[in-house]
Amino acid sequence: MSAAETVPVPAAVPREAAAGRRRPSTGVLIAGGWLAIVALAALVLPLLPGFDPLHGDFGNPAAAPGPGHWLGTDAGGRDVFQRTVAGARASFAVAGLTITVGMLGGGTLGIAAGWFRGPVDKVIGFAADLLMSVPTLILVMIVVSLRGPSLPVIGILIGLFTVPAFTRVVRAVVLSLSEQGFVQAARMIGTAPLRILVREVVPHVAPIALTFAFTATTVAIVAEGSLSFLGFGLRPPEPSWGGIIAEGRTTLGSAPWISLAPAAVLCLTVLALNYLGDKLRSKGGRG
Amino acid sequence: MTPTALRTAGRTAGRLGRAGAVLLLVTVTALSLPHLMPGSPALAALGPTATPEQVTAYEAKLGLDENVFAATWRWLGDALHGDLGHSLSTGVAVTTELADRIPVTLELFVAAQVVALGLALPVALRSAWRPGGAVDRIATAGAFVWLAVPGFVLGLLLIWITAVQLRILPATGWTPFTEDPLENLRHLVLPALTLGLTEAAVFTRTLRSQLIDTLDQTYISAARSRGMGTARLLLRRTLRPSSLPLVTLIGIGVGTSLGGSVLVESLFAVPGVGMLVSGAINGRDFPVVQGVVVVSAVAVVAATFAVDVLYRTIDPRIADERR
Repeated sequence: MSAAETVPVPAAVPREAAAGRRRPSTGVLIAGGWLAIVALAALVLPLLPGFDPLHGDFGNPAAAPGPGHWLGTDAGGRDVFQRTVAGARASFAVAGLTITVGMLGGGTLGIAAGWFRGPVDKVIGFAADLLMSVPTLILVMIVVSLRGPSLPVIGILIGLFTVPAFTRVVRAVVLSLSEQGFVQAARMIGTAPLRILVREVVPHVAPIALTFAFTATTVAIVAEGSLSFLGFGLRPPEPSWGGIIAEGRTTLGSAPWISLAPAAVLCLTVLALNYLGDKLRSKGGRG
Repeated sequence: MTPTALRTAGRTAGRLGRAGAVLLLVTVTALSLPHLMPGSPALAALGPTATPEQVTAYEAKLGLDENVFAATWRWLGDALHGDLGHSLSTGVAVTTELADRIPVTLELFVAAQVVALGLALPVALRSAWRPGGAVDRIATAGAFVWLAVPGFVLGLLLIWITAVQLRILPATGWTPFTEDPLENLRHLVLPALTLGLTEAAVFTRTLRSQLIDTLDQTYISAARSRGMGTARLLLRRTLRPSSLPLVTLIGIGVGTSLGGSVLVESLFAVPGVGMLVSGAINGRDFPVVQGVVVVSAVAVVAATFAVDVLYRTIDPRIADERR
């Protein structure tokens, strides 16, 4: 990391101009709508009676999608739709932890590196280099195999590996912020450094944190899926997206929906998150 | 020495020192992995009936009887003599295991790059030539959608289409190139496509935006006004300066592809480094895991250096003041 790696911070949009904004585009509505449906299903459906993703209808294994079982049943006669909904809960829970760890770690380190510069910056940059030169997935697999595949372990580990990237972005923004007029002015009139940090710098980091949340969620969903696929994810029969998709691969020939239906839901969710994150980024925040 | 040469030498020495420190710390981390295990790794591996002598022998083998730094020092000393220890489960030297597996993973990596570049280069060139045109819009949207498909889903889809529905390619397994080149290629197609197609989307995006920037330069307009042909203009004048971010991406890919190869090799049952390490992790075969982690960190560091050198070769305008 170097001092030259700064990005210009766009001038704040006047409130009047922001108030007269356009309505959200069709794409944003579709992406947001899809995410809302998935989130709502994950929150509400498990409360309904008859929702049991672990219940096997043994007389009806590997049934094709149709009435009764919208997305069919898996080899154990369990409802694929219900398992996909339950899997969303696991995936989003992992994502929540990932975001928390990434934001706290990356936010703090990035602000520290950009604000104090010098040796602090050097040490943090070195630590980020270190974390980036070990194969992420392999390290997560090792720790999961030693500490057990629990949801907190997986979420925190994935979060840890999102820290360097977020640190880098936050650092770049803080570096260029400290060159800006309003920060210089605050310094000039003798505002305490901590107050400048909290009042002037942190609010500008917040929008980047929001775009980071979208990226981190997709990273968490894909990483958890990859881990489940390798047998290092949440333990079956407890469903997670990756777990369900992995379970279905043995019956890919006879009952492809067991894998492909949750896979489609996963891809659409990642696509929607990417799209919204992208729109947000182009509106000002980076991450 | 001229001042510039002196500065270059100093900077290179600094980078080497930094790389050395990274490798040292990775080694310490790899060797402290058994300590992360709750309880006694020896008892977990040998079972509750193990005699104290067996436990002591096991701990000595893993360097658990000394502190991590002493263990690292000894491990590095042995490593310099070409000894990375022996697998706990097979007793084979870790170096032998690696020598067996690295060529397979390397073949996969190269094939994936061929797939990725073969797709990205023409698509990006065509897109950047007419930004906002039909080809560009389709390619950009396509890459965006494509990036939402994770590797394991893509691999599964490829198996479903080619091996289950069309029955034209083997879904899993491997034949060494030396045994039967044609069979080897048939087994290579699906894993290489899985790794390469995802990369192709990333490559296309990066190369396209860089090409558009380069095409905006005055020397391009100058060349065009002199009557230089389109093909020559794109390939000789535009592609070379635009390929720098691509080189970085391929360099980074050396590190990330090892993670990707774990997934792809397990999905397609390809006996490479990824399969070796996931088996070793499952079997608590620490010497093998440590060997793979350190060797892959060396590969990442070496790739970073190679990217630096390539940068200068591709674009001599980049002076050493870049950083």
